[in-house]
Amino acid sequence: MMELAYPVGLIVVAAAIIIGFTALVREKDDLHRILLTDLAEVIGLVLIALVATDLAEALILPGLVVGISELLAVSEVYIAKEGLREPTGPAFRIEVMDSAPGILALVLVAYGVFLSGFTGGAIAAVGVVFYFMCRGHAEQFELIETVSGYAWAIWIAAFFIFMFLPQYWFFGVMMAGGAILVKVMAKMSLVGTMRRGGPDV
Amino acid sequence: MFNLPNPQIGGPELFVLEFGDIVAYFSPYTAVLFAFALLFTVLVIVSRPERQVDIAFGGDAYYTKEVEPDLLRFQRFMAIACGLATLGAMVTGDVFNFTLFASMIGITNIGIVAAYRNRHVLNAAFQYGIVAMLATVPLFGGAAIVLSSTGTLSMWELFTAAVAVPLIAKAFLVLGVMGEGMAPFYIAKAEITRAQGAPFILMVHVSSLLLFLRVMEIVISM
Repeated sequence: MMELAYPVGLIVVAAAIIIGFTALVREKDDLHRILLTDLAEVIGLVLIALVATDLAEALILPGLVVGISELLAVSEVYIAKEGLREPTGPAFRIEVMDSAPGILALVLVAYGVFLSGFTGGAIAAVGVVFYFMCRGHAEQFELIETVSGYAWAIWIAAFFIFMFLPQYWFFGVMMAGGAILVKVMAKMSLVGTMRRGGPDV
Repeated sequence: MFNLPNPQIGGPELFVLEFGDIVAYFSPYTAVLFAFALLFTVLVIVSRPERQVDIAFGGDAYYTKEVEPDLLRFQRFMAIACGLATLGAMVTGDVFNFTLFASMIGITNIGIVAAYRNRHVLNAAFQYGIVAMLATVPLFGGAAIVLSSTGTLSMWELFTAAVAVPLIAKAFLVLGVMGEGMAPFYIAKAEITRAQGAPFILMVHVSSLLLFLRVMEIVISM
């Protein structure tokens, strides 16, 4: 079964590449071309994911980061090229965004803390992002940055425990799991503050 | 301890730097490329931007063009980052790390070109950005096929005669590097070789040239 999955996956990817690149050749609008290129990058990640080993899993994240940073760079160029400005009208209002954030954020953060580690950080961060998006924000960003910095230092310290005091590995795992949770959450929560357009975003 | 499997291409290794199972190396070939990249990175760090003078036609008057400090700082940062990425791509001993360095060169090249607030330059930068993004598909795809067909990404394993890398993986790698190293064409298209802050543009050409030379060594050795 697994031997069959890889060639079949490759054929699907080849078809996706042909479709995506044909669409890119035919598309003339620049904004749509950015979106199509992003789709094409996902195909590159799928090619890595098809290998389906631990090493391939470790390669997905740097691949994704490179893709996102290229997308950001090209989008910045597009904004400068078209001379786009931030819209000045009132932001859209949805009732759910006033009532839901408290409980949803609580559930997501609690579940994220329960999971811990990278996945937990991502889930807790989704809760915090949602909360900041709906309720706005009035806190100091320096505080979030400081917490995230300390979390990073703890994460590194956990790696030193793995290297130099391997008998305390469980302590190291707990430290790394907690620190990466806080780190990912703090970094991603900044995303939620972008919509309301604070003083430094 | 380490011996390059086929020293007839890049020469015997001179120095080996071990990071766990990722082993960077200098052969005479890559050492020359590394020194070249280092030289231009240092030049970027110490050089000052070129100030252009436009002569008003038919008279003694001339205009001097000012380079804004913000633009200068951004462009210099991008050029130095591009130099560091090139240094990494020259010495790395791991195929996936090489592709990552190649895409970092692509990103910094977009940054260097996009620093100009000029419409046709930004257009060229945008087109190059699209190509560089698309190039990550064959680039990472090539590395993924290498991994799936041989089970390793280490060049020390891949360069041995026992490990056969499929032709499609090599072709994908070259294709990806072509996309990432395409920037000089777009620079020629936008005619910004002699624009404001000219010395930093050199880094685009240097990184592209060195990237091609290095990928040739990798593909021939595999």
